[in-house]
Amino acid sequence: MDGETPLEVHDLSVAYHKKPVLYGIDLAVPAGKLIGIVGPNGAGKSTFIKAVMGLLPLSSGWVKVYGKSYRENCRRVGYVPQRESVDWDFPVNVMDVVLMGRYGRLRLGQRPGAKDREVARECLEKVHMLPYAKRQIGNLSGGQQQRVFLARALAQESDLYLMDEPFVGVDAATESAIVTLLRELKERGKTVLVVHHDLSSAKEYFDMLMLLNMRLVAFGPTAEVFTPEKLQTTYGGRLTILSEVVQTIGTVEK
Amino acid sequence: MSGLLRSGKREFFDASHAHPKSRTRGVNSTAARTSAFAPVRIPTLLIFAALVLLPQALYAARISELTDTSLTERAVRFFTFQDPSLRFALLGSVLLGICCGLMGSFLVVRKLALMSDALSHAVLPGVALGFLWNMSKDPVAIFIGATIAGLLGAGLVQAIRSTTKHKEDAALGFVLASFFAVGACLVTMIQNLPDGNKSGLDKFMFGQAAALGRADVILLGIVAVVTVVIVLLFYKEFLVTSFDAAFASSGGIPAQIFHYVLMVLLAFAIVSSLQAVGVVLVAAMLVIPAAAAYLLTDRFGWMLILAAAFGVATGAMGSFLSFVGRNLPTGPLMVLAATAVFIAALLFGPRHGVLAKWWRQRSQSARIGRENMLKAMYHLLEGENFRGETIPIRELAEARREPIEDVTKSVAKLRAHGLVSFSSDHKAAVFTPDGWKRACEIVRNHRLWELYLTHAANYAVDHVHEDAEKIEHILGEDTVRQLEKRLNYAHQDPHGKLIPGHQDIYGKGPVRQGAR
Amino acid sequence: MGELIPAFDFHRVIVEPWTEGFSLTIWIVLMGALVGTACGLVGNYLLLRRMALVGDAISHSILPGLVVAFMIFRTVNTPVMFIGALGAGLLTVAIIEFIQKQTRVKVDAAICIAFTSLFAFGVTLVSAAEAAGPVHVDAECVLYGEIALVPFDPPFVLGGIELGPPPVLRMAIVTLLLAVAILAFYKELLITSFDPGLSRSMGLRTTFWHYGLMIALSLVVVSAFESVGAILAVAMLIVPAMFAAQISSRLPMRLLWTGIHAVVSAVTGYHLSVWLQCSAAAAMVVCGAALFVLAWGFTALGKRRAHVESTALQREA
Repeated sequence: MDGETPLEVHDLSVAYHKKPVLYGIDLAVPAGKLIGIVGPNGAGKSTFIKAVMGLLPLSSGWVKVYGKSYRENCRRVGYVPQRESVDWDFPVNVMDVVLMGRYGRLRLGQRPGAKDREVARECLEKVHMLPYAKRQIGNLSGGQQQRVFLARALAQESDLYLMDEPFVGVDAATESAIVTLLRELKERGKTVLVVHHDLSSAKEYFDMLMLLNMRLVAFGPTAEVFTPEKLQTTYGGRLTILSEVVQTIGTVEK
Repeated sequence: MSGLLRSGKREFFDASHAHPKSRTRGVNSTAARTSAFAPVRIPTLLIFAALVLLPQALYAARISELTDTSLTERAVRFFTFQDPSLRFALLGSVLLGICCGLMGSFLVVRKLALMSDALSHAVLPGVALGFLWNMSKDPVAIFIGATIAGLLGAGLVQAIRSTTKHKEDAALGFVLASFFAVGACLVTMIQNLPDGNKSGLDKFMFGQAAALGRADVILLGIVAVVTVVIVLLFYKEFLVTSFDAAFASSGGIPAQIFHYVLMVLLAFAIVSSLQAVGVVLVAAMLVIPAAAAYLLTDRFGWMLILAAAFGVATGAMGSFLSFVGRNLPTGPLMVLAATAVFIAALLFGPRHGVLAKWWRQRSQSARIGRENMLKAMYHLLEGENFRGETIPIRELAEARREPIEDVTKSVAKLRAHGLVSFSSDHKAAVFTPDGWKRACEIVRNHRLWELYLTHAANYAVDHVHEDAEKIEHILGEDTVRQLEKRLNYAHQDPHGKLIPGHQDIYGKGPVRQGAR
Repeated sequence: MGELIPAFDFHRVIVEPWTEGFSLTIWIVLMGALVGTACGLVGNYLLLRRMALVGDAISHSILPGLVVAFMIFRTVNTPVMFIGALGAGLLTVAIIEFIQKQTRVKVDAAICIAFTSLFAFGVTLVSAAEAAGPVHVDAECVLYGEIALVPFDPPFVLGGIELGPPPVLRMAIVTLLLAVAILAFYKELLITSFDPGLSRSMGLRTTFWHYGLMIALSLVVVSAFESVGAILAVAMLIVPAMFAAQISSRLPMRLLWTGIHAVVSAVTGYHLSVWLQCSAAAAMVVCGAALFVLAWGFTALGKRRAHVESTALQREA
């Protein structure tokens, strides 16, 4: 690691049609940690990582990845989107999808070469999916599809990984395989942010937790953050004044 | 004006042969049409009948007029390229097939098929304005006008979706219909003009490949080359943005820009195909060949190639039929040819075809039937504590509660698969080693699954049989290994019966099984 | 260009149609308004169910139904045409569902394949028949019809009273039937459109109402076909309903606004067509679309003040 902060977020706000979804997030993510992003439904967990990657317009604030803007350093970031976000009937096979992980490193119009294929094969091997390389992606189980997405992110050979709900709808074997993989990434000094929906396993999987409900409720080592009070603030319905105000605006405007 | 309109009264269907005497619309009046094109007789009708299986009886009375010579003569003329206009028509159709096939593939996988329908209708006002530019069918002016109209339409769809609560379907429908209405107004206005060369505008509705000129073909050629080059050059970018736009953007590939590039190429493809296919049916030439290709392959590269090939074939077929049918509108014929290709792909596709699926289902249910019979035989042997080896057909029939004849037939099928053999008098069956192995596997799968459900999933013992009846046929060896391990290589199922183990099935012969 | 757009002569465009040309104007405008209302009523439900483009598909694909019905029965009786159209409409829905269920082709492509194929079949039949002589049909009429050219005389006479031209009467009856049906089954249509899951749990047969709506759609489109053609029928289905949805968020008000929109666009459209000497049906659609754009502009202005979309959060999901 070069000592820089993998991800620095300052006063990040996101709004859909003027209605705030994320509000004033300040954050500096240390290198080499496994970080879980936890919060109730609609708390803006996916929105947060999409906003970090510039997929959504920010209404305020800035994001720095290894000290530069996301655009400049996008090659150092790997992304695992939600499994439902793509059409699994798409006519590509497993190898094609994993090769897409290499596209960011290639010039415009350049085709993936033998070296890229080699990297893709290694990544498939890591998630135990090499035997399925020629399969059409629709003929895989949910867990296998998730592993393909992970292999694709590995093929990006990044330093910071953003994963959106990788544990949703996967079998136990895949879940433990993903956990092993995450730990391995961490040992290699990578930083991984994982949107996670299951509180009970969050404590066990992650070094640090980010409790999110429209605003950043808490961020820190799991032992410090995983406390009843903080979880209550995060999950306690509409306890925060902010979301109450938003709700009121919503009803008045209707 | 009103008085004129009255005298121009027209009926939609007019069974009598009478034509209205005067029209306000000069160009497209039926009188002008019928004189322009020599009346088409039966050959044409026959082709359609053959093509779409229309009951030929409808025309039975007129079949006697059929003249083979004219049909074959025209076909020969088509294939020997005697007409220069024919060469243009064919070349044009081939080029448009390539453009439409390539663009259509992207539309199908991006679920934008209806966008193409809206855009193809939306270009009409642009066509009319391009025509007005110097009152002639100037391909370049029409190309520019139509492209602008198409892109405006695409922009309007986006604007409606983002600033109103209307959903995409309404936005597309609105753009399609309102742009087309503006176009229809303009077209009827042009046709009411007292002078100028108005002919040819009506051909933009349903297309007329025979009306393609040198300039049209050159334009089509340019568009085709540009499309092919851009798709080849940026294949990987188009692939990843179509599959997963968010991932592409996160990796620094500007998905939005490639979307716009695709829309511009789409507009080009639509506009350059107008002359041959017509406003109304361009969408079909885009979507149908690509959808047929989508059914046949699992790789996007192949889909592009197949779609282009289908586009070329159907384009050429359409212009051929149009020519043989004496200048019938080309667009509908191309679309019908494309539909025929799609139906063929739908029925006979090797993996996703309806017939292939049906065949797979059939062979699977046949396999399940065989396996159930093997299982019944195993149960009979088990009932005798594996003392004998022969299973009397009569007992098997009793156990299965089926007539003896039926069971004999089923056992004969098993024999055909090398799973059992008959005793010398055909009254009893004996397992072959293969059959014995398969029977043990099925029984093992069934009992393992029952045990798994009761142990691991806390099912009641009397609830597991039905489930296991289905699972036993689809458990793979890998899963079985896992189950065995998980259940500590248990020997007994929840009902107290023996579960054949790995050694029993693969290690020893059938007879010793009972001795365990 | 000057000759393309005739000078705006107030007397010719505005006054004359309602004085000398009254007997013609009234029927054309009435026809336009009736078509707009009938289509718009059905269109409201199509919009609610996000099926606007199924309307597009069916209005195209009834063409082969009409032609085949004509070829079999050799008559243009309304019931015969309706049966043909209904058959084609249901066939379209069935093909779309078949492709969607049996293959991995998605619904948008399935719609596109189904209706373009049927429409191409219809056009081919029409052109072949036209050229061969037994039927006289104008292929272009199929696309944008012509209200002004619909046969208006002889008027339909009942018991000595001249009621009006048959096509207009037919359209009036269809509109009336539709209005009565919507009044009678208002709550069933509403609940099955809004929440199919809930209505199924309440014992309502959603498939029944779905096909009921499809039948109504075929009926409306086949009656509108002659005067507005396949593509402008789509406009008549979608545009009034979109206008109404832009103005009101309550269904009863929307249905009312649909009628108002139909009348206004019929009148203004007719004058536009007299002025520009263009297709009356197309001009009516252009005016209808312009009305929608106006309403859109107004709501956009209103929104600038303080409107927050209630759907904002849902879009995230």
